[in-house]
Amino acid sequence: MAGYLIRRILLGLLTLLLITMVVYALIRFMPGSPMDTDPAMMNPDKMPSAEDLERIKIAYGLDKPVYEAYWIWLNNLATGDMGISYNEKKPVTDVIESRVWATLLLTVPSLVIAYLLAIPIGLWSTVRSGKLDERIAGVSLYMLYAIPSFIAALFLQLLFAVKLSGTAWELPLMGMHHSDYDEMGAIAQTWDLLQHMLLPVICFTYVSLAYYSRFIKANMEEVIRQDYIRTARAKGLGQMRIILHHAFRNTLIPFVTLLGLSLPSLLGGAIILEQVFNWPGMGQLYFRSIGTRDYPVIMGLTLSLSVLTLLGQLFADILYAFVDPRIAYK
Amino acid sequence: MTENIQQPSDVPTKEKRSPGFWILAWRRFRRRKLSMLALALVLCLSAIAVFSPMIAGTKPIVCKYKGDLYFPCLAYFNADWENPIFHKDRFRKRYPKNLRKKDPESWAIYPLVFQDPYRPVRDGEWQDKNADGEWVDRPGNPYHGGVPSKLNIFGTYKRGVDVFASMVHGTRIALLVGFVSTGIAAFIGITLGAIAGYMGGAIDMVISRIIELVMCIPGIVLILALIAVIDKTNIWIMMAILGLTSWTGMARLTRAEFLKLKQSEFVAAAQSIGAGPLRIMFRHILPNALAPVMVPIVFGIAAAIKVEAGLSLLGFGAPPPNPSWGTVLNAGTSNYTEWWQIVFPGIAIFITILAYNLIGEGVQEATDPRLADPKD
Repeated sequence: MAGYLIRRILLGLLTLLLITMVVYALIRFMPGSPMDTDPAMMNPDKMPSAEDLERIKIAYGLDKPVYEAYWIWLNNLATGDMGISYNEKKPVTDVIESRVWATLLLTVPSLVIAYLLAIPIGLWSTVRSGKLDERIAGVSLYMLYAIPSFIAALFLQLLFAVKLSGTAWELPLMGMHHSDYDEMGAIAQTWDLLQHMLLPVICFTYVSLAYYSRFIKANMEEVIRQDYIRTARAKGLGQMRIILHHAFRNTLIPFVTLLGLSLPSLLGGAIILEQVFNWPGMGQLYFRSIGTRDYPVIMGLTLSLSVLTLLGQLFADILYAFVDPRIAYK
Repeated sequence: MTENIQQPSDVPTKEKRSPGFWILAWRRFRRRKLSMLALALVLCLSAIAVFSPMIAGTKPIVCKYKGDLYFPCLAYFNADWENPIFHKDRFRKRYPKNLRKKDPESWAIYPLVFQDPYRPVRDGEWQDKNADGEWVDRPGNPYHGGVPSKLNIFGTYKRGVDVFASMVHGTRIALLVGFVSTGIAAFIGITLGAIAGYMGGAIDMVISRIIELVMCIPGIVLILALIAVIDKTNIWIMMAILGLTSWTGMARLTRAEFLKLKQSEFVAAAQSIGAGPLRIMFRHILPNALAPVMVPIVFGIAAAIKVEAGLSLLGFGAPPPNPSWGTVLNAGTSNYTEWWQIVFPGIAIFITILAYNLIGEGVQEATDPRLADPKD
């Protein structure tokens, strides 16, 4: 196991190196530079002189060729320094940290809700398989799965923020806080935040909910036909015990992979959704930093997302061995 | 008497050929009503895409002008296909009045809906007969503030462009994006997967690392970076980018199939008669490996349509002259009270994606050998 882990981690580091290299090259070859996208520099009265531009370029390290600049970035990274954001003039780690909570506020509840609901729904539809209520639920979940989350977001916004505005059901259109959030008391602040969170969390949740519950059902359908389930039935065990103890436990292996693979979506979950809801999270930050060519922030975000993806895969593989004693890594 | 009875099995002298895999798969697919309905829907959408200039537009489908027949509606497919005579005679895209003014003998057949996907129709561009049989000018867009009405059945957006016309012409983009980008992805994925699976060794190692690498970069991140690098995108570049970022799943599947199939006897037989690796890979193995790859291809089409709509919604999609469903959505987000700019394209995108998913599901069940019906 230890040897396997070391090999996986080394391979992961190599992959990270390649990813950051590719992305660094890509963003440096993008037309436009941080200098000509900064709105402060667009002001005709304050046009920076050629010397100023040159000075900024040197300060940003953009005067060096791409491979050299990448090498410097890599060396700084080794000391834990991800550079300084061009836009916010703050260390990239601080910039990302200021955004990460907003994103986690949406993704963590939605993942938890999706898992908590998907398991009972999946098990219930296995038990009721083929019956009318199960088929209705199945078809609705299938339809839900086909709705792109950004379209659901727009529809929900239309319904709750426009159509129902003025009623008790009204929900805020976008953003994270009401404009006079700072003057509110603690309870009102929490309530306000919850109201703003509701629609984005729903949009984050329903796709994974539909996917997970169908996934559980598909796996359960396979297991439920096994001989040992028939044995369990024959010896007179209750339905509950058969489904939970005998069948569901044996579908945990594919389910666990899903858990690992959903790890990166915690941070990079939905760039488009954050944009639709104008939510000040990582996705929006990524979007904005590409627009303004904020290279250090793009690199920092790419790095954290890739690390999370690789960790998720590793996590899934280790959990595999944990839940299935037949799997042994050498 | 009894000697004269013909045995029914004697009638066909030739042995009946048993149906091939794809025929059986099609038979199984045909049994799924929902998938067939979805297939019909996609064919219907394709028909709308092909005939879009005849459904909605301001250019005549066919017209007789100064003694010659023209098909100006083809300009919606390609601006160069509009006969230069209309440019020379200063039509400025206003056909009905100019045709009448410049050649009283002319006649024209117009699309079903006289609305343009690119520009608002102006006052009096089109005339209707009223109850008394007189010709009256039809008011221009936006009619009634752009709310869906008799003239603009899906309303208008962007200073009076008709949503229905844009959506009819946007069908072309939606279907093209699906097919072209998934085609590119399938080509890359199948080729790389085949090479990796068949060659094995160091080549497999390198290709597998590349697959892992691309899988690790979140799709939308790579797409946004590529769009930014290319700067001036058009719809074809968009499709190429979508294709370049979505081939990994197919590559992995193809690789796995090739790893399995290269051990089989028909490959050994082909090798023994001296067939080259390319011939074995693409002539012998590929047809047998295609069935499992079909499923991600169909789902890939749905995903590509979704991503294109999402990118258009963010303002990164098909650049302005191309009306796409996502572009209308994008206009809708700037003013939520104009609900029709969100509801109609949203429903269109949803139905299209649902249809492709249903087809994908049908293909999956139809090509799965474990579900094969022994009676077939």
